[in-house]
Amino acid sequence: MKSYTFCLLFILLFMVACAADPQLRLPEMTAAEERQGKDACADVFPQKNGGKWQFVHSIDFTMKDGSGTTVVGVTTLDKNDIECALVTVEGLTLFEAAFRHDKSFEIRRAIPPFDKPEFAKGLINDIRAIFQPPQGTKMQTGQLAGAASVCRYIEVDGSVVDVLPDIDGCLQIKSYNPDLILERSITGRSCREIGSSPIPDYIELKTFGRTGYTLKMTLISIDNFK
Amino acid sequence: MKLKFLIVTLLLFLFVPVCFGRTAAPEPVALQSIQADFIQEKHLKILVRPIISTGTFIFQAPQSLRWEYRTPVPSILLMHGGRVKKFIEKDSLLVEDKGMGLDSMQVVLGEISNWLDGRFSDNDMFSVSFPDKSTVLLTPKEQALAGMISKIELKLADRKGLLDEVIIFEGPDSYTKMIFKNRALNKEIPVSVFTDK
Repeated sequence: MKSYTFCLLFILLFMVACAADPQLRLPEMTAAEERQGKDACADVFPQKNGGKWQFVHSIDFTMKDGSGTTVVGVTTLDKNDIECALVTVEGLTLFEAAFRHDKSFEIRRAIPPFDKPEFAKGLINDIRAIFQPPQGTKMQTGQLAGAASVCRYIEVDGSVVDVLPDIDGCLQIKSYNPDLILERSITGRSCREIGSSPIPDYIELKTFGRTGYTLKMTLISIDNFK
Repeated sequence: MKLKFLIVTLLLFLFVPVCFGRTAAPEPVALQSIQADFIQEKHLKILVRPIISTGTFIFQAPQSLRWEYRTPVPSILLMHGGRVKKFIEKDSLLVEDKGMGLDSMQVVLGEISNWLDGRFSDNDMFSVSFPDKSTVLLTPKEQALAGMISKIELKLADRKGLLDEVIIFEGPDSYTKMIFKNRALNKEIPVSVFTDK
C-alpha cells in the first residue's frame, strides 16, 4: 500500500513538473482568410509610414531578483538601420551604437557594464522585436481564443512571433522559441495613431527564463522626419 | 560604481565656483546655502532635438544636498550627515535606488569639503584653467575619467562666483548643458529637505 501511494505521488509530481504554464505555450490559432488582418499587423511597425522615426523613452529595467535601474533610451529607425543610445537621468551617455540592415554594427560608446558584447546583442534583439516586423518566412493570419486577431510569423528554425495588432485598444507581440515556449512578450498600452501606426505611450517588455528581465518603457517624445 | 560616483561628482561641481581660492577666479560670496531651478539639455548627434529635463537643487554648507528632477523622469538625490540616498520614480512611486555606490559617495563628500574651503585647485580628478573671466575649464586628469568626460565648462554669472551654466562634454557631438535660474542664496533650509523624499 505504501509503495502504491509513493508511486502515485511520484507520477503526480512528474505530471505537474512537465506541464508548462499554458500561458507560456504558443496558443492555438483559427486560420482566417489569406489577407485578413495583414495590413493591421504591418501597421504595428511604424516604418511602414516611411521616413525616419525617433523615440525617446524612460526605461525602467528590472531583473528577476528585483535589481535594476532607470535610464533614458533613444531609438532612431531609418528603414532597416537602427541607432540607439542609453543615457542616465543625469545626462551621462552610457551606450551609443548603430546597427545596420546587413547585421553589421558600430559601438560608438559603451561605459562598463554596458561594454559587454552580450549587452549590445540583447539590446538590438529587444529593439528589433519592438520596432521591426518579424523576419519569419511564413505568415498566417487568424484569431486566438477570445477572438483576438493575430498574425503568426514562422521562422525557418521553427520559432514563432505572434503580432496582435488590436488588443485592449493597443498591441502585443509575443515571441516563442522552437519548442513553442514564450521567450519574450511586448505589451503596448495607451496607443495613439500616428500615420497608420498605433504608437503606445507605454510598453512593457518581458523576457522569460533564468535570466528574465522586464523593461517598462514610457514614451517621452516621438518624431517622424525625412 | 565608478559611474555613479562620477554622476554625483558632476552634480557637486555646481557649487564649486562659489568657493574658488585662486586669484584668476572671481571673488567668492560667503555661502551658507543655495537653491535654484535648472533646465538640463542633453545633446547627442543622433537626437533630432535635445532631451530636456527640469528640476531644482538645494545645497547647504557643509555637506547637505537635494538634487531633484521633476521631468521627464522624477528622481531625487539626497545627501546629509554623511549619508547618500537616491530615489527614482517606478510605477508612479518614488522608490529608493539601491544601486548607488555609497562608499564612493564618501569620497565625493571629502572632495566637496575641500572645495568649500577654497582648495578647489587641489582636486585630483580635474585640471583647472580659466580661459576668460566668465569661464572655468575642467579637464580630467585620469585616463579612465577622460574616457567618459572630455571636459567641463563652467559659465559664471555676473554675480561673483555664481553659475549660469555647466556644460559637460563627452565628445564632439555629445554634451549636457545645465542652465540655472531663480537662484536664492543663504536662505534658512529645514533639515527635512535633505532627509525626506
